[in-house]
Amino acid sequence: MNTPALLEGLRFVDTFFPSGGYAFSSGLEAAVQGGAVKNSDQFARYIEDLLRGGMSRREVLATKIANAAGAEGVNSAALEVDRRLDATKLSRESRMASRQMGRQVIRVAADQIKAKPVLSVYREEVESDRAPGHLAVTFGLTLGACGWSPEETAAAFLYQTAVGFVSAAMRLSPIGQHEGQRILGEWLPLIERISREVTSDTVMSSWSPIQDIYAMRHGSLEWRLFRS
Amino acid sequence: MLSTESVGRVGELRLEYAKRDHQTVITRSYCTTPWHLLPPIYLDETGSAYTLLVNPSGGLVGGDGLSIDMNLDRDAHVLISSPSANRVYRSEGKLSEQIITLTVGPGAILEWLPEHTIPFAGSRFRQSIHATLASGATIVLWDALASGRMARDERWAFTDLENEIHITTASGEALVERYALEPASDLGCVGLVEEWDYVASFYIVNDAVSPEIWAELESKCAAMLENLPGQVLGGVSTPPVPGLAIKLLARTAPDLTHMLDLLWAKVREALWNLPPVSLRKY
Repeated sequence: MNTPALLEGLRFVDTFFPSGGYAFSSGLEAAVQGGAVKNSDQFARYIEDLLRGGMSRREVLATKIANAAGAEGVNSAALEVDRRLDATKLSRESRMASRQMGRQVIRVAADQIKAKPVLSVYREEVESDRAPGHLAVTFGLTLGACGWSPEETAAAFLYQTAVGFVSAAMRLSPIGQHEGQRILGEWLPLIERISREVTSDTVMSSWSPIQDIYAMRHGSLEWRLFRS
Repeated sequence: MLSTESVGRVGELRLEYAKRDHQTVITRSYCTTPWHLLPPIYLDETGSAYTLLVNPSGGLVGGDGLSIDMNLDRDAHVLISSPSANRVYRSEGKLSEQIITLTVGPGAILEWLPEHTIPFAGSRFRQSIHATLASGATIVLWDALASGRMARDERWAFTDLENEIHITTASGEALVERYALEPASDLGCVGLVEEWDYVASFYIVNDAVSPEIWAELESKCAAMLENLPGQVLGGVSTPPVPGLAIKLLARTAPDLTHMLDLLWAKVREALWNLPPVSLRKY
């Protein structure tokens, strides 16, 4: 990857990007309140399990397909995988969180990367409700348009997701910054492996029943710090 | 025409239902071994046709390919279950496959509640359930998986298992659940769910029910799911189609069945003001 492409895409990965991700925990808050995540080891296993079983062949797959669409400047494959992804998102809060963050990405990308019309065309699809606009898809499309490879984009997506969970865990449980960095470091080999092994011809699937259940239970919590 | 080696291994069951006067009846049927068709039973005054999916062979072995094709005409009401768990035996080679296609006509109701699947150690199983709903149609769909033969310490010991549930409404919106497990692999491993012995999904979909009724039912189901803390972990939410999606984990079959009975009773009451029915399995 050349440096301009790196910099163009990096801001969409950075936690400084205004996607609103800080407001969502994807069910982690319910898992902490429900006693499934009580310490840093349990947290690390819980998220590792989600990245591997829940997201690898679903969000990562979508990211890679959208990346290729962004690179080629043709959004039909991104639109199709966006709709497929939406159909598998069974928890209302997680589905809406993913769509809200995805819309922020495509709005900023379409506004600022004018040389890539595929982004403004996709923003129009999202704004007119013809596309759900899930984060994995708009993120993949954007980084593809920026010149990132599918594998780099998948790794960046997983890394951003992992950072989001560490950030949420630090607010929900007694996990400090150093502990958070240690856990993040332990996930890197898995992130690299998933980014490499999941290819765009993989059949979409997902297996994370425990995390799915806690995502569903979040709406019933009596007190909440997060929106999902 | 089937080849001789396919006899008893490639089984088709095709059923068409229609409402006649106040009762749902089978208007056309076709089945080949190992499927066995029994006439429907009428459990209550609603006229709904209760049909058991009977496979007297006891289960699926590698190379078996079973299919069910079911069509409900306008306003028909059908209740489906099976007499016992769906066993999938060990296979050193071929997959065991079950393909289910359900078409639910306008205003029709399909309550699909078969017993759970038990994948034996070393088994290979693939199932797909595709349901297409017309406007105003309802599907109540239960699908459950056991970890294996727990009494023999076979837990999550199958070779691979794929399961897909795909429900499409009249507007073209879809709900899809699809998982592909291969416990010995990295990305296909069972993971944290290994601590549990039953995983189930319960979907209720209808595009004519008001959001207020769904919201009330969701709230009741959420409360119900707290009934067996530590033994059942469950969540309910609204999927991307009009209806509810419920996911469950349970430690024992009685807990799983008990929770299904509670949830199903709430669904029948909320959607049709009907009492629960006993499925009379002995």
